[in-house]
Amino acid sequence: MVRQLSVVGRRVPRWGAQEKATGAARYVVDIELPGMLIGKVLTSPHPHARILKVDKTRAENLPGVEAVLSFEDIPQRLYTPNRHDLILYNPENECKDMYLLSDKARFVGDRIAAVAAVDEVTAQRALELVEVTYEVLPAVFDPMEAMKPGAPVIHDFAPNNISMHLDFPRPRGDVEKGFREADCVIEETFRTSKQLVSQLEPSSCVAHVGPDGRLTIWSPGQSAFLQRRKLAEILDIPVGMIRWITPHVGGSFGKYGSLNLEPVCAALARKAGKAVKIEYSREEDSCRTETRQTFVATGKIGVKRDGTITALREKLIVDGGAYFSRNSTTSKVNMGGFTGLYRCPNLDAEADCVYTNTLTTGGIRGYGNSEAMCVLEHLVDRAAREIGMDPIELRLKNIKKAGEPDNKGIPMETCTLETLIKLGAEKIGWGKKRAQKKENGTKRYGIGMAIMMDVSGAHPGSIQHRNAYIKFNEDGTASLIVTAYDMGQNLTGTCAQIAAEVLGIRYEDIHVVNGDTDSTMFDTGIGASAGLYQVGQAVMNAALEARGQLLDRAGKMLGVAAEDLEIRDRRVSSRSDPQRGLSVAEVTMQATYNFQGEHLNISAKGSFSPKQSPPPFAAVFAEVEVDVETAEVKILRILYVNDSGRVMNPDTVEGQVEGGIAQAVGFCLTEDTVMNKASGVLESDNFTTYKIPSTLDMPETEVIHYEEPVPSGPFGAKGVGHSTTVAVNPAILNAIYDAVGVFITDTPATPEKIFAAMKKQSASNGAV
Amino acid sequence: MKKEIGSFRINGRLFEVVITPEITLYELLRELQFTGTKRSCGVGECGSCTVLVDGIPTLSCSTLAIVVRNKEILTIEGLSEGSRLHPLQQAFVDHGAIQCGFCTPGMIMMAKALLDENPHPTRDEVKEGLAGNLCRCTGYVKIVDAVVASAEQMKKGEK
Repeated sequence: MVRQLSVVGRRVPRWGAQEKATGAARYVVDIELPGMLIGKVLTSPHPHARILKVDKTRAENLPGVEAVLSFEDIPQRLYTPNRHDLILYNPENECKDMYLLSDKARFVGDRIAAVAAVDEVTAQRALELVEVTYEVLPAVFDPMEAMKPGAPVIHDFAPNNISMHLDFPRPRGDVEKGFREADCVIEETFRTSKQLVSQLEPSSCVAHVGPDGRLTIWSPGQSAFLQRRKLAEILDIPVGMIRWITPHVGGSFGKYGSLNLEPVCAALARKAGKAVKIEYSREEDSCRTETRQTFVATGKIGVKRDGTITALREKLIVDGGAYFSRNSTTSKVNMGGFTGLYRCPNLDAEADCVYTNTLTTGGIRGYGNSEAMCVLEHLVDRAAREIGMDPIELRLKNIKKAGEPDNKGIPMETCTLETLIKLGAEKIGWGKKRAQKKENGTKRYGIGMAIMMDVSGAHPGSIQHRNAYIKFNEDGTASLIVTAYDMGQNLTGTCAQIAAEVLGIRYEDIHVVNGDTDSTMFDTGIGASAGLYQVGQAVMNAALEARGQLLDRAGKMLGVAAEDLEIRDRRVSSRSDPQRGLSVAEVTMQATYNFQGEHLNISAKGSFSPKQSPPPFAAVFAEVEVDVETAEVKILRILYVNDSGRVMNPDTVEGQVEGGIAQAVGFCLTEDTVMNKASGVLESDNFTTYKIPSTLDMPETEVIHYEEPVPSGPFGAKGVGHSTTVAVNPAILNAIYDAVGVFITDTPATPEKIFAAMKKQSASNGAV
Repeated sequence: MKKEIGSFRINGRLFEVVITPEITLYELLRELQFTGTKRSCGVGECGSCTVLVDGIPTLSCSTLAIVVRNKEILTIEGLSEGSRLHPLQQAFVDHGAIQCGFCTPGMIMMAKALLDENPHPTRDEVKEGLAGNLCRCTGYVKIVDAVVASAEQMKKGEK
């Protein structure tokens, strides 16, 4: 259809760039409404306690306080904050265990009461006047302890604190036989970090009940339509009585796939009859919102001397925190990732999701696949060492090819892992660097690598349903009306690029209307890199339909068959007689203001539901420097060889890779989530105590784009954003091993852990 | 708290506002509808709230409004004129340096202060200058690209 691409593939500015660069972009925190109240949430200071009594009297009597809520004021409706129960094909794997305000305190930060008052000072004072009588209960913070008999029971329905057991749904062969056939078997238990999301915009929400009784919500939620339906169910009001608006979002990374402040904010607004805004402080955001799970993962690999993998097994203990939220889907993705990356005839996995009196966990970028690769790619490197094989050679022996099943069991349209590995190895000088043992005083140098495959949307696990609408203005520009959740990954801009390309007009001719359930098209929401692959295809379908209308009308105007026409750079012309043509604007003007009575507002809807979730692939190489005296790690260089299909916009793809690298640097090295084991208080709750990377922590990075267009994707594109931490973590950890000979199996790999590991290793080597 | 009237010059305009001693410059800016300046941590650790006060980069969340009366305050809104962007803003747009955009205003104001003091920084000097501005989305690579490119642009005298 289009021979040469003019918009797709170009580094056009992201959607909304000028607004964001000038401070004009509005986020939830910037929404101001007349008479708006300030809402605050009272949370439990205890990690585990019964709530015996909540006395609101003094708070209610404080002048300026307009609503105080406790458990008795809210709908007694159990829900799960994540939206999967609405779209999963197996909703029995979801668990409704949460109330809008908790019936029992299950972690320090659990919601107990809420107030709305005329200003922040009054709201804060009102919180202090709410008198809660607790019966403090023993608490448990470690999942292994939580499963022991006699441990405190956190939810009554789970007497051993195991919320759910999951068996991997696609086991193969006989793992015990596979391990017996192996020449080398490695087993290791890995504990991954309870990483805090630390998005820069603090969690917030605005809720307003209009004079017609309709509730309007401004929220950074990732799935507006699904979350609106959930909220409607919780409040027991019709879905159509809620309007959910998504302004600009200051980062989410998966956290806002769950309901956060919306239920309590809506409840306050309904009680007070006025608009309410809740804005968390940084400390509140750290302590009260979803984090990554800690996966205690025991992985086992069996390998023959020739490098063939004979068996893989993973057993997960998932520290899921105080409420279930997304434990089952992250566990499933973890198991699918662990078993799905390499060819292996015998594989199995299982997971136990466990409650602890710690922060609720969610589905954060990587969604279990990040954590799975920490274990798997570690085992592969260990096995390579044991059998004396180069780790790349071992990988190349076992990677899959196109047509083989991916991490979800679906045959892959493409698989470029071998090419990516070889490209990267050559670029970074793998062979030479591995052969040299480099030292410089107290510094040791190492190089490591890892690979991964991820997803382009949550198919086949859940319903994925996308819609887009395009309507032309009379001047040949067009509105793209779509619910394309943009947390910074530029889904909006890349969708506009698709529309412009198909319609034959310019990127700047498309105006995106986004994020309002009253006017933008239904969409199941963003996560798992569904956006470009799925929403992009709906946009493409809408654009193709609109293009058809345009060509029909142009054909009539020119007296030429529509099939003979093409559109390029705002001009419709005949292929056989290029001089014969019209501008797109002439066509749309004539259609809109038509004096022959043949009116047409050129406009079209497109829909899409996927049948695939083609994995993006990557091979990542890391070079590190480790100081043997201080055990500090400096990452010198990361080379990221990326195949996410057609690169819609190189700035966007590179931005996702570079950002993913930064989050991996934090996950691996600097972000240590510290909880007080006596009080259950999160002590690492601000940017001084919880260190996200700064400019000085970033290595030199290089991104190699390897574009293998995937047939099912819009212009051959796949997802990318979700996947870019996944292979970086293990590449860094494997590089540390190469440098100083210690494997760290408990992230973050802090200097203390590295130092202890080096000491232990030299003690066992007999050195002093 | 005792109310008084303070005079503030923000982006070249004079505002006379009723203030109390404890309100921060960030809160004052919000009161006056300057929502471009963002607050991410509230305690001066992330740089998101950076504005310029008499040309000096200042953490508005941790600065009392009463202390900056009668000083020249420049916020992100003051850098552009309608659709005419400052070279730094344009460079951020052109180099893919903006993702969610929440750190962007503070980052640009800090970059401006950096370039005002050192018009020809090396990449390392840019990284050091921006080390107090946190970003969770970009990994900083394109931010540094944009600042370096902007310095080049401004050197050529094209303002």
